[in-house]
Amino acid sequence: MLKPPLTFKHRLVLPLLLSLVLILGYPLAFSLWISLHDYQLTAIEQARWVGWAQYFTILAQNASFWNALGNTVRFVGIAVSLELVFGLLLALLLHRKATPFRHFFRAALLVPMFVTPIAVGLMFRFLLNSQLGVVPSVLRALGITIDWFSAQQALITLALIDVWQWTPFMLLLLLAGLESLPEEPFEAARVDGASPLQIFWHLTLPMLRPTILAAVVIRMLDAFKVYEYVYAITRGGPGESTETIQYHIYRVGFLYFRLGEASAMSYILIAVILMLVVLLFYALRRESLSQR
Amino acid sequence: MKGHRFSFLLGAAALLAACAAPSAPAATTVPTRPSEAAAAPVTLNIIMEQVPDYDIVASLTRQFEAEHPNIKITFDAMPYDAMRDKILTSALAPSASYDVIIVDNPWMDEFARAGFLLPLDDYIARAPDYDFNDFVGPLRDIGVVDGKVYGVPYYNYALGLIVRQDLFDNPDYQAKFQQEFGKPLQVPTTLEDYVAVGKFFKSQGIFGAAMQPQRGYKIFEEWKNWLYAAGGNLLDAAGNVIIDNAAAQQALEMYIDMYKNAAPPNSVNWGFDEALRSMSSGESATMLSYNWMLPTLNKPDGPAGELAGKFALHEVPGGKAVLGAWHWAIPKNTASADAAWTYIAWITSKAIDKQRVIAGGAPTRVSVMQDREVWEKGFGQQYYETVLKILEDAEPLARGARAEEIINEVGTELNSAVAGEKDVAAALAAAAQKTRAILARP
Repeated sequence: MLKPPLTFKHRLVLPLLLSLVLILGYPLAFSLWISLHDYQLTAIEQARWVGWAQYFTILAQNASFWNALGNTVRFVGIAVSLELVFGLLLALLLHRKATPFRHFFRAALLVPMFVTPIAVGLMFRFLLNSQLGVVPSVLRALGITIDWFSAQQALITLALIDVWQWTPFMLLLLLAGLESLPEEPFEAARVDGASPLQIFWHLTLPMLRPTILAAVVIRMLDAFKVYEYVYAITRGGPGESTETIQYHIYRVGFLYFRLGEASAMSYILIAVILMLVVLLFYALRRESLSQR
Repeated sequence: MKGHRFSFLLGAAALLAACAAPSAPAATTVPTRPSEAAAAPVTLNIIMEQVPDYDIVASLTRQFEAEHPNIKITFDAMPYDAMRDKILTSALAPSASYDVIIVDNPWMDEFARAGFLLPLDDYIARAPDYDFNDFVGPLRDIGVVDGKVYGVPYYNYALGLIVRQDLFDNPDYQAKFQQEFGKPLQVPTTLEDYVAVGKFFKSQGIFGAAMQPQRGYKIFEEWKNWLYAAGGNLLDAAGNVIIDNAAAQQALEMYIDMYKNAAPPNSVNWGFDEALRSMSSGESATMLSYNWMLPTLNKPDGPAGELAGKFALHEVPGGKAVLGAWHWAIPKNTASADAAWTYIAWITSKAIDKQRVIAGGAPTRVSVMQDREVWEKGFGQQYYETVLKILEDAEPLARGARAEEIINEVGTELNSAVAGEKDVAAALAAAAQKTRAILARP
């Protein structure tokens, strides 16, 4: 008896596969196609093939693109490392049974994560505003003047806003990691007279490393997409000091309507992120193999 | 390449929608052939920017609907940032979402050359008593692309110098200024005087100028007045980029001098709102801003509080001002072009424009600005005469199909120089190089 070309189980997943092709496959294929064209929204009729020259021009001649990529990497570096440090400290604190009101703090500390980033951006735009802001006003009363959005400070300010919003995410993952660690090695270490610092350095941190790597990868991928704070607060300024890659792509694609060039930049960004992810997963895999 | 339009719409509509700000749902447009527009009921959907001028237009439109029972108007009012995307998607669609659009100065050439707009010459020629030449010349010219009229002025946003007149008239300040500079304290008419006056006021405890050096559009709009005053421009008469010449260098150096020595500290990202707050709170003595900000500042229950009535409008130093304007236009793909023109011709007619200006709208017609009734019921003869003078000697912010990109790129370089990231020569060289590259694109 001939087997039907599609078994029942295959037919069951077919609608999902078709939906994925339509929702993900088509836009990806179309954006790849236009990334190889001089494709402008105000001159679609004149779209012309330019091939890989589009990519070459961006990589070799577009200083603004590299500046934006550099800003993004700096932003991710500052934000994610601070989030990791604060997230780990808070997780350790909330993991201690002796910490008062720890269940309340667990819930309260998660609140920033639930606010939409554009609202967070607008909120900090006013909080840090030199004319109206509470923060500069309080600092002035203490004799401290900080220009939060100067060329030297603005990117750090945006990273600190990201830290305020996303440290809770890091806290959540690390706390879950801490609570899943076995008790016995810690009890044995305490019996052997290890200090809390030694326990943290030689037990907690190594055992928590896979969780830390996973948390860092997830936050890095998310932080690479930073756009809302830039749009709501600095619009990339002063100069190009806070122009991140997503904002740059938005500017080229939707402000200047050069969709072909913006698509090519997006593909380059995907390649950069993929490389980072592969490297981190490689590290993660090596870590898990070494623990077997 | 027609298929590309549909491919684009299918593939990028979600992206555009995600980037656009939320707005009121678009009303259904009743498709009518032009010949039927006068007879069959038509609903015109109009995209507007959510600004005070829109409120005036919306209020006047009730009168239009009463006079034209077959034409119903629905407005889709939204913030500036959302408008360009929405107009573009409407223009690329097989049938328009908007039957009437308003077009900002930098978009006019771009949209007209992209084939999005309907030429209005025949409509204007056929309209009785319309008097198109009554619109102030530089304003009218913005709507003309390659010899055809694509837009009719809606409102102007030319820049003027707004000052705290009471400070200039103060005998103590006058005596001190005379002593220090050997000449009377007057509203500045040159860049040198403007910087000197700015520094003088700062030495008296009031910031000399609330500036708007924010990256992109704002600094370009403000600094270009300085550029004109120094005798420079973006392009010369032959279309060559001259933004890195000696005049531009002088204009930027003086602008930075003013910023560092007379403007409020840490204001490198200031735009319109911050500068207005600084003026209305009495923190600053002058600002370059839209001419129609004067009535707002002098309004007894306005943002300036007790300072209301103490502000005056003058021409910018050097006389030649940056001109911005919004124009009414009809998308080529609307099915209700005749009805759309009926509305535009009505709202921009002399009689209705007069009502609009008396209600506080920014003037565009010469006859309206010279009308005694407007002077009496509006903001006074001096105000309208100054606005007319400003408009007559004004030049658009930028022209050409890539004006938006040039404004943003040059504005980024200017802001870099003010923020100290680049020196003046390097910033202007980069601005010139980027402008040349933008203009050289096919």
